[in-house]
Amino acid sequence: MTMLLFSLWNSPTVTSRRNHPSNCEQWNRPPARKVHVCNFISQVLASKIVLIFCLSLSIPFNCNAFELFDSVQIHGFVSQAMFLSSGNGMFTDNKSNPNFEFTELGINGSWYATPNLRLSMQVLSRRAGRWDNGSPVIDFGLMDYSFNFDSAYRVGIRAGRVRQPYGLYNDTRDVAFTRPSILLPQSIYLEGARDLTISGDGLILYGESTKPWGNLTLELFGGYPRTESINNQFQAVFGYSGVLESNPSFVGRFNYETYNGRLRFALTGAYTTATASKSVPSPNGLVTFAPMIFSAQYTTDKWTLTSEYDFDFFKGENLGLPGFPINPDFNYFGQKYYFQAAYRFNPQWELMARYDAMYPNSHDQSGYQASIKSKGLSPDYSHYAKTMTVGLRWDITPMMMIRAEYNYINGTAWLPVQGVPTGVFGISDNSQTSKYWDLFGLQVSIRF
Amino acid sequence: MPKIISCYTCRFRNMALWSLILLFSGSMMAEENVVAVVHYGTPVTTPISRIRLSSIFSMRLTTWSDGSAIKVFVLPDDNPLNSTFCKQILKLFPHQLRYAWDRLVYSGTGQAPVILSSTQEMENKIANTPGAIGYLPKEKKDDNVAILLVE
Repeated sequence: MTMLLFSLWNSPTVTSRRNHPSNCEQWNRPPARKVHVCNFISQVLASKIVLIFCLSLSIPFNCNAFELFDSVQIHGFVSQAMFLSSGNGMFTDNKSNPNFEFTELGINGSWYATPNLRLSMQVLSRRAGRWDNGSPVIDFGLMDYSFNFDSAYRVGIRAGRVRQPYGLYNDTRDVAFTRPSILLPQSIYLEGARDLTISGDGLILYGESTKPWGNLTLELFGGYPRTESINNQFQAVFGYSGVLESNPSFVGRFNYETYNGRLRFALTGAYTTATASKSVPSPNGLVTFAPMIFSAQYTTDKWTLTSEYDFDFFKGENLGLPGFPINPDFNYFGQKYYFQAAYRFNPQWELMARYDAMYPNSHDQSGYQASIKSKGLSPDYSHYAKTMTVGLRWDITPMMMIRAEYNYINGTAWLPVQGVPTGVFGISDNSQTSKYWDLFGLQVSIRF
Repeated sequence: MPKIISCYTCRFRNMALWSLILLFSGSMMAEENVVAVVHYGTPVTTPISRIRLSSIFSMRLTTWSDGSAIKVFVLPDDNPLNSTFCKQILKLFPHQLRYAWDRLVYSGTGQAPVILSSTQEMENKIANTPGAIGYLPKEKKDDNVAILLVE
């Protein structure tokens, strides 16, 4: 098992460096990016050291966690994926096949200082194409104080860098074991907007009630969402360098589940704004994103049926530069949803099928108006995406899992910016993408 | 004629036998062969409600009534006793509990139970850890731990 993992682990660096001449050229163009390459290599080495550490600790003990001493727990995970694409590259614009640029590695610790006060932190190294280069970041780091009343009610506060309460899968979106597929349904869990929704610096107030008729949970987040890797996409999208800085934002999630957890409903509402500070003398832009997500899940011994529906308001103001031929401002009412069925025909095996649809502007579902407005730079099919997915998962042990999946996609609405080739004015040229494409993925994952 | 009668009796006997077997196997199935156990002196009264016990094993309820910490111990996911305890006592599927723990652990919102490798280790841990809760096979019940019945 260790050998298999290392061979998989070793291949990405070799493949990505050998097969991506265009990527290297891009890195070498501005002098600042040379540093990026060096950093990248040292970070990959660092992640390997962490992996060796994790494996050497986890395998001999053959248990799912470590209790260093009383009330301290250490957990972690590592996943490596491989993709084959017939059209667009998910993590690189030159669609190199096979592509190994999707690695997730995390380690977290949690300590109950008192029965009511817990400290917790997770460090994440994520490699997902050009901008998520594996440099370790603090994914969450928080203080959690909670209080139980007569075992039926609980209230608490989490402060620090906290996970934003967003839909069903956002809480653990980097942990392959908790996902239904290698890539989450992209309509709701858009790869390109990951930073804005994953965690933020601020507070969460929460309350829980446990009654015979079910559990109710309410979580309210207020704070600053992260924008680190989004900043790197700025130039590719808007054609000038700038910084996206989040403003105070709010997310709330109300969750109901029956006592036995078979039926679960969640309602998420969020209001996020970010200021686009430009490096050129022109007024600053503003991006506003306000989604409302309805989630439902039904679980039996063998089946899990899931669906989420998102209706959102997404607006970009004052984003263009004076004299620039295309005005990138937008004002969208988006509509996104998926239906998903997972069937565990054996405790270790699971089959999954999903239909996922994304219309960033529901008033222009065919993308016709947007393609005219962009003067051909973004064709109609870049304004929607319909995805059909089938997948198979095998839990070899409770600690190790492999899975395969196949996606058939019509449209490129959720294709990350890094998968779109660069065209004139140095901005992403969606007309160089494929409308119909297939994406096949394999993934191996370990957790403890 | 006698033939027919005997055939009827035969059928009746068969039916009676089958229903007896069904009844018996039914009661065998219903009989719980795993029990929840706690450390002696834990501030909890038996029987405990199923909802409260589920909250404890889902790691949502983290303190006993006196404010002391609850220490939850379980067996590995693929241990048959784990599955039996989830289904028969908690009335939950093992994969639901696993998902709930993963959500807590990897989002920084809680801790997972401590996983032990054998029932012997479980017995020792429960006996020696104040505030501990876990489960053991019914026939293995021991004087070192207190049994927690479910209402």
